[in-house]
Amino acid sequence: MADVIKAFRSGVTWANARGAWPDMIFSTRVRFARNLEGFPFPGRAEPRQLAEIRRLTFAAVKASGSFARGHYFKTEALDRLEKGFLVERHHISHALAASALPSGAAVSNDEDLSVMVNEEDHLRLRCLSAGFAIEEAFKAALKLDEALGRELPFAYDGNFGFLTACPTNTGTGMRVSCLAHLPALSRLGRMPQVLESLSHLGVTARGIYGEGTCVLGDFYQISNATCLGRTEEEFCQNIDRVIRNLIRQEIAAREALLKGPMKLRTEDAVFRALGLLKHARRLSYEEFMQNVSLARMGAAMGWNMGVDFSTFNQVTLLMQPAHIQAAAGRPLDPDARDAFRAEFLRKKLA
Amino acid sequence: MKLCDECNKEAAAVFLKLAVNNKVTETHLCQACAARKGMGLGFESGAFNISDIVGNMSGYFKDFLPPEKKTLRCRACGLKYSEFKESGRLGCPECYAGFGSQLAELLARIHGASRHTGRAYCGGAALKLSKAEIGRRLDELRAELKAAIAREDFEGAARLRDAMRQLEGGHG
Repeated sequence: MADVIKAFRSGVTWANARGAWPDMIFSTRVRFARNLEGFPFPGRAEPRQLAEIRRLTFAAVKASGSFARGHYFKTEALDRLEKGFLVERHHISHALAASALPSGAAVSNDEDLSVMVNEEDHLRLRCLSAGFAIEEAFKAALKLDEALGRELPFAYDGNFGFLTACPTNTGTGMRVSCLAHLPALSRLGRMPQVLESLSHLGVTARGIYGEGTCVLGDFYQISNATCLGRTEEEFCQNIDRVIRNLIRQEIAAREALLKGPMKLRTEDAVFRALGLLKHARRLSYEEFMQNVSLARMGAAMGWNMGVDFSTFNQVTLLMQPAHIQAAAGRPLDPDARDAFRAEFLRKKLA
Repeated sequence: MKLCDECNKEAAAVFLKLAVNNKVTETHLCQACAARKGMGLGFESGAFNISDIVGNMSGYFKDFLPPEKKTLRCRACGLKYSEFKESGRLGCPECYAGFGSQLAELLARIHGASRHTGRAYCGGAALKLSKAEIGRRLDELRAELKAAIAREDFEGAARLRDAMRQLEGGHG
């Protein structure tokens, strides 16, 4: 079994339920896009330049002191399962996993900090925190950014700010996002209007693995749509406001699901979902996500699911395809995976 | 029975919900079409090819970028302005200087502003480049120097010679 996977613990701290709304906000992420002066952006650099950028970045990450006992990966050296595992863990993107050129990632020992090298930009550094924790994640990411910015000359311009390969990231290069679970708004069919209203607030919503991925289990990644013309703190405050507003809307939607004849229907859907999670003998990841979303909502409504939010969060991480194979200790075809997932989940929920 | 949006023949088996540009789009595909498009959940059946479904961002840039008056090229990496319009990706940090005025317009469209007001950056330590990279950069500068001398650009040649000295001195 892959060494990379063995290097990681089975659970992660950023998946613990924490903060004022553990049922709604899974995690908070702040990332900075940075590039080195004197090199073309990854899309236009030669392989040997990419290798040099990676060498320089890993050396700077080591010197930053925040990655003691951290993990360093070269993408080309990873097998398919290892890449899948790191994607599911949110340490690398789908785009990086697909790269055959010199690229990689450094991940801190407790997995809250990471630096992706040679994805769209030379560096994508980020902090991931449990729950609704914008200020904490921002401060930690900024500290890492400042440490790396002392070791490496970042491409920066007085007018445009930090220079990035895609103009959508120019300026602060910062994206602050919260992974929000919005099952009641989804169930009431209100998400299209909610997403529409977000676009007027300078905010975008994406699927669980970031840009261009599906919406699974009613999880939405809410982040700032622009990076230029406001301070980092202002972008953080805007997301904070938007998230608080979304929370209010989700609370109202949950109340609507408990009114009059709706209540029995909601209760029925939630307990059917719980039954399926606890008793299914074959379970695809998609089906798991649909049902865990309802069970999570049931727990938030105060019904006895026999499972706390931290367990819900951790199983959401552990039921992903590569994580299932990591738990099994061998590659499994989709059918075997679905059977293993059902059994593994029964044990976790027992 | 819902038919596949792609082939319109088989029964849809994969239901895909995407949030793109803050619109939820729903796509129903049969097994075969979904597999052909390399779509799956998480990492289950390979990388997700979103551009097939929603079109990519470059089309968006194309509409907003001003047309080029003459062939515009980045002096550092050689990227043509027309290539940037096509791909939506810049070639190197120097492209920002090369395409400055066009970019200011695009950035204003994207961000509603074209001036950075966030944290200022005072620069970091010089890169400790590998010998191979220093050698490669020296080769490049040597070729540029030769060209500068050939066209009697002595000011440019002096600048290039300074840059070479700096690299050779390990301050690159």
